[in-house]
Amino acid sequence: MTIFSSLSMLAATAAPKPMSPILSGPPEALLVLALPILGVILCTLCAIMRVRTRMPAFLTVGCLAAAFAITVGLYLKSGPAPVITSGFEWINLSWGDSAGENSPFHQFIANFSLYLDALTVLWMLFVTGLATLIALYASEYMSGDVGTGYCRFFAAFNLFVFSMSCLVMGDNMLMLFLGWEGVGLCSYLLIGYFYKKPSAVEAAKKAFILNRIGDLGLLMGICLTYVHFGSIEYRDIFAQAQPYIDAAKAGRYSEIPAIVQLIPVLLAVGAFGKSAQLPLYVWLPDAMEGPTPVSALIHAATMVTAGVYLVARMYPLFLLSEIALPLVGWVGALTALFAATIGMAQFDIKRIMAYSTVSQLGYMFAGLGVLTSTGAAFHVVTHAFFKALLFLSCGAIMHGFAGQLDLRKLSGLRRMKGWGIVSLGMLVGCLNLAGFPFTSGFFSKDMLIGEAFVTPGTAPIGWILLLTAGLTAYYTFRVFFRVIVGPVHYEPGDELHSAHEEHAHGDSHNEHAHGDSHNEHAHVEDDHQHHDHGHGGHFHPHAPGWAINTVLLTLSVLSLAASGLYFVPTGVHGGAVPAMVDRSSAAYQSPFAHHAIPEGAGDGGHEGPDHAAETVPSYVPTSIAMEDPHAVEHPHENAGTFLGWDPHAVLFYVSGAVGFIGIFVAYVLHYAGRTTAATARADALLPMLGPIPRWAQHKWYVDEFYNLVVRVPLLALAHTFHLIDKLLVDGLVRMFGAIPRWLGTLIRPTQSGELHGYAAGMATGIAVLLFIVFMLTLR
Amino acid sequence: MNTVWTLAQAGYPAALPEATLAHYLFVSAAMFVIGLIGFLTRRNLIIMFLCTELMFQAAGIALVSFSRFHMNMTGQSFVIFIVTVAAAEAAMALALVVLLFRKRESLDAEEWTELKG
Amino acid sequence: MNPDTTAPTPDAASLLDQWMLGLLVLVPLAFALVVAFSPDKRARATALLGTLAAGLLTVVALARFSWSNGAAFQFEHDVHWLPSLGISVSMGADSVSMLLVALTALLGPICVLASWTAITERVRLYFVSFLILQAAMVGVFIARDIIFFYICFEFTLIPMYVLVSQWGSTERKRAATTFFLYTFTGSVITLAGLVYVAWINAGMAPGLYAGSGSWTFQIATLQITASQHMTLSQQSWVLLALLAGFAVKVPLFPVHTWLPLTHTQAPTAGSVILAGVLLKLGTYGIFRFAIPFCPDAFMHYAPVIATLCIIGILYGGLICWVQEDVKKLVAYSSVAHLGFCVLGLAALNVAGLQGSILYMINHGLSTGALFLLVGFMYERYHTRSMKEIGGLAAKMPVWATFMVFFVMASVGLPGLNGFVSEFLCILGTFQASDKWATGVWGSAGTAIPGATAGNLGPWYALVAGSGVIVAAMYLLIMVGKVVFGPLKEPAGHGGAHGHDEHHGHEDAHATEAHLPADLTAREITALLPLAVACLVFGVFPAPLLSALKGPVDQTVALIDTARQIPPPGTPSTQTAAADLRTLEHEPKEASR
Repeated sequence: MTIFSSLSMLAATAAPKPMSPILSGPPEALLVLALPILGVILCTLCAIMRVRTRMPAFLTVGCLAAAFAITVGLYLKSGPAPVITSGFEWINLSWGDSAGENSPFHQFIANFSLYLDALTVLWMLFVTGLATLIALYASEYMSGDVGTGYCRFFAAFNLFVFSMSCLVMGDNMLMLFLGWEGVGLCSYLLIGYFYKKPSAVEAAKKAFILNRIGDLGLLMGICLTYVHFGSIEYRDIFAQAQPYIDAAKAGRYSEIPAIVQLIPVLLAVGAFGKSAQLPLYVWLPDAMEGPTPVSALIHAATMVTAGVYLVARMYPLFLLSEIALPLVGWVGALTALFAATIGMAQFDIKRIMAYSTVSQLGYMFAGLGVLTSTGAAFHVVTHAFFKALLFLSCGAIMHGFAGQLDLRKLSGLRRMKGWGIVSLGMLVGCLNLAGFPFTSGFFSKDMLIGEAFVTPGTAPIGWILLLTAGLTAYYTFRVFFRVIVGPVHYEPGDELHSAHEEHAHGDSHNEHAHGDSHNEHAHVEDDHQHHDHGHGGHFHPHAPGWAINTVLLTLSVLSLAASGLYFVPTGVHGGAVPAMVDRSSAAYQSPFAHHAIPEGAGDGGHEGPDHAAETVPSYVPTSIAMEDPHAVEHPHENAGTFLGWDPHAVLFYVSGAVGFIGIFVAYVLHYAGRTTAATARADALLPMLGPIPRWAQHKWYVDEFYNLVVRVPLLALAHTFHLIDKLLVDGLVRMFGAIPRWLGTLIRPTQSGELHGYAAGMATGIAVLLFIVFMLTLR
Repeated sequence: MNTVWTLAQAGYPAALPEATLAHYLFVSAAMFVIGLIGFLTRRNLIIMFLCTELMFQAAGIALVSFSRFHMNMTGQSFVIFIVTVAAAEAAMALALVVLLFRKRESLDAEEWTELKG
Repeated sequence: MNPDTTAPTPDAASLLDQWMLGLLVLVPLAFALVVAFSPDKRARATALLGTLAAGLLTVVALARFSWSNGAAFQFEHDVHWLPSLGISVSMGADSVSMLLVALTALLGPICVLASWTAITERVRLYFVSFLILQAAMVGVFIARDIIFFYICFEFTLIPMYVLVSQWGSTERKRAATTFFLYTFTGSVITLAGLVYVAWINAGMAPGLYAGSGSWTFQIATLQITASQHMTLSQQSWVLLALLAGFAVKVPLFPVHTWLPLTHTQAPTAGSVILAGVLLKLGTYGIFRFAIPFCPDAFMHYAPVIATLCIIGILYGGLICWVQEDVKKLVAYSSVAHLGFCVLGLAALNVAGLQGSILYMINHGLSTGALFLLVGFMYERYHTRSMKEIGGLAAKMPVWATFMVFFVMASVGLPGLNGFVSEFLCILGTFQASDKWATGVWGSAGTAIPGATAGNLGPWYALVAGSGVIVAAMYLLIMVGKVVFGPLKEPAGHGGAHGHDEHHGHEDAHATEAHLPADLTAREITALLPLAVACLVFGVFPAPLLSALKGPVDQTVALIDTARQIPPPGTPSTQTAAADLRTLEHEPKEASR
């Protein structure tokens, strides 16, 4: 009936046939996208209907839990080959003569379709799972804001899960870009959730803009991919790249054109932006201005791993480039070290966690760079659990102590009533992060470091990572020893206090909300007084409730159990994560690899691709191991060693020892003999190090450097342009207008305004005319 | 060929045989020059207006005389229009002059220099 | 006007089709007449009714339009006007025209709603001007005769001049005059260029082309003449003349200074129409005239045009950054956005052209909405300075939600409309280089008509793409200041005194009394269709893309032919060129 339906019918008829055969995927995969959108709509409705209960949270938890259940179903169903679930047409262009239509280069297709392979499912499992848990946590954490703010929070939360799902599940790069920018938007909205705080707004803006820089790289990468491969759908790209892959396998990199080698570099720029790597990492620590559940979900567990996902997804292309993977590896390693040094000198525990996130993301990139996509993916998973746990524990502390995050003002939480689970969560998280033996963090980190030593030429990366492991253990346990154990002492923060005050202030202005919010208003006033008492010395931290404790406990268990994902055989091949990675586009069989899999468990774990190659259609990129004759015949001769030993054999002990050293140093400096919250033995050491701790505390002045080098010149340029626009460009135009005006002023005096003057002029004119006529005619 | 159309062509009235085109044009020119000089020298708005009327009618006389001379009625019909328009114009102009007088209590043309550039 | 009396009496449906476009112009004009003679009280309701009637008619037109044949001009109708000079009121619409007419019709009622309380003086004149403006804009899009086109093109100026000069802000007179003179000067030169083509076509000019011997101003005829029978230098001069008018209207970089001034001074609805439709007259003109009339010259000078666009994108974007006036910021952002739009045209391939035409529509939706929002804010606070206001999310949550939404659409967030067009423009520019095919960059690809040919390329795309970053910068900084942050209101707001100097004609007391803190239902009604359209076109642009396929393919085919056959001047190629260089309905048949 309507035009739009006729238009859409037209679009449906115009849809061309797909290029390659599609193994059609399960349609319920689309529900994984639809459920969070349903959540967005429900939360928006709640906002419109001014719901003042915790309903939006429970709706969100319901939607996300359902999405998680479906994802689990997808996992159980997933076969060895990727499948594509068709959604609907998004962008579809075609050109050229009729003969060439429906072939690559003659059409541009980006559909809302889902590409489901093991990598997708792996990512979706922890994205939806963690999102459900964190939504549950947030239902309690955000309860102070019940009302429109609460609805806004959960709407954005759902939108985030939707965007992340698009990013991970999309079957083409533009869909990935959609999710990529979508998570950026949600990150922007959620960092700026406390929008009355200028610092939060500033941080949100910074995150979005810095991400955009990376996005430009990604966008250019997409364009280049399209121009070169004629498609941006993964299956077509991988099919088109097959000749190059073959060339790369044979080690003939010279056959791969420079332009193909440039694609992964551009993609990597995008990944560096999203995953907060050097030089674009500065937004992530500032992003901690957002509510803590957001930090846990977006800025620790899921969104920031999108860059890792991108590299893993496009791993076949990265393997084609001689520069891309070393670039990724080195950037990752340097970021890991750099962020760790900053993390050591911070006092805000949430910031410390943020820098540790940057650092751990560096590990993942380094892992990708040293050719262990399995290790990187495994670290993504374990990190997601333990970092979410750490953040949520920090959040519980922040929640209970009115926004206090300074480790000099909190101490001895363990001994306070009701804080047991939080303390436990912190302990488990710290152990994982520090790489304490037999935690999941230990195994995943060890894989990365070990592989760095195995892969030829990347040993320096290994050393950097090893050093960083020690630093990580130190700064992690610095937090633990300062905050959780030691003498009981606390000072309340003032963040919630001021936020509430502004809230009340805003309400008194708002005529509409006044009546409705009367109760809440009173409550806020109450709280307000409560805090005032707190300053007077009667502040009572309120311990977390059941939702927070449940989530923390669950995550503690999960993050310890995550190591099982690697070791427990799933019946197909090896542990769950390696098996899944090996069945995806990120599969890579290093000729040097002999991962530290315990005998029996990882039996034949890395033969997966070769098995799969028989059943999988040709467009599935399989293992792209370099078939360099040397490497294949004598792989172990080329493989690197760790000081002459087999890296995987000794690094268990080495990295364990490094971790212990870090923890011990933290123990000595921050626990032993500490009697107050504010000071520790470490303070005595500081003067010996000169200005270095101060520089580190100021984040090596990177923000200031960027400001000076990028922002200030640009701003100056902007002002110059503005001036030019006003004076020069507009001036030129005005000049054209001014010339007639100037001419006018010249002859202006002749216009006396007197009637006789005009009459005399006319008469003279006629006389002159007559004279001329006479002279001409009477000649 | 020489078809006689009017009495004048037939030489009638014979009493003023010497009144040729030149005479009429002379009167016309004289009236115009008087009007022009009057317009340029006088300051009184009404006088100036009358001078313009004078010039106007001088032109009318020239038209009529040429029309008569060429036996083409266009000129005469033109003049009929001119006379009508002049009448309307006179009414308008005098009304305007009265309005102007009310504003400045003077009929001096020098008082009005609004168009000064 | 005399309808064609020779035609046999048609049935009702075909009669409707015949007069469809004429009615689209006449209905707003008729309502303008009604408004002119109705009492002030009923003026705005009548105007709303008029725009709604026009909208309804547009819906009928859209439904009757055959979208699968989008390249063909439909609803064609000629009304003889000055047959001795070959001038007629001839109308016809292809899918590009139709979509832009739809955009105009959509913005009409929205603008009337937006002016509901803002305009309190001389209401009738306001709405009469507004309805005339709407009729003229529709006329531009449906004209198939140069003179008719030009008349409509210029006739948009007069109502706009009245709107700006009567209901604008403090500097409205200067703004209106600048606007009028600037665009008028440009478009007179355009007229000269168009008439020159007609002159060549009539065979009056000495030179290569014998001509038809009689005057005609039909666009279709002149297009063939211009693209087939003019030498490169003739085409270049015509292109220059055409761009003189269209580039001012767009506006491209060096001739953009009228835009911020006019936007800041215009009343809200005027800004909406200006950004939403009037600027598109320029890009539409480039698409309809500059490219098909002078394909060789356009190809030749595409890098120059693209460079101007890119300068506009970055320059306009950076200037936005230092603006304090929100409305001026949005105005300068139009300079940057339209830079993308013309860049897509300069790419001269399918992706670029599709993106560009989509951009015309999308920019109208999102920037129009931004101007509405700024206007609603101004109605409440009587200031637009970011120094005086801030943190309005606390007070106007609905407004803030819409603001963030439309800013995101404007920034080009995927999933909203801006992205699709922006991406296609960038992709088109990226592709548009011969070097992809020749292997200069190590690519083994072959030249693909409609894609990888031209003389732009990745560097242009890269620099233009950095405009996306700049866009995020200035728009988010604006949002950060105005929407978020601590609440800041102008001193004395709420008390009814003290800011009469801020505004021109609007009566502060009258409006403030009616308006609640947040948006009213009327204002939400105005914004909601735009928001829905932004979302739908962002997620589901496929219908639009396939509707635009016809005209775009045709233009690309023309360009492709021009690429292969050099323009006349080298006489040997003349006949071949004559066969191929047509923008007739069946270009492929002609080439066989």
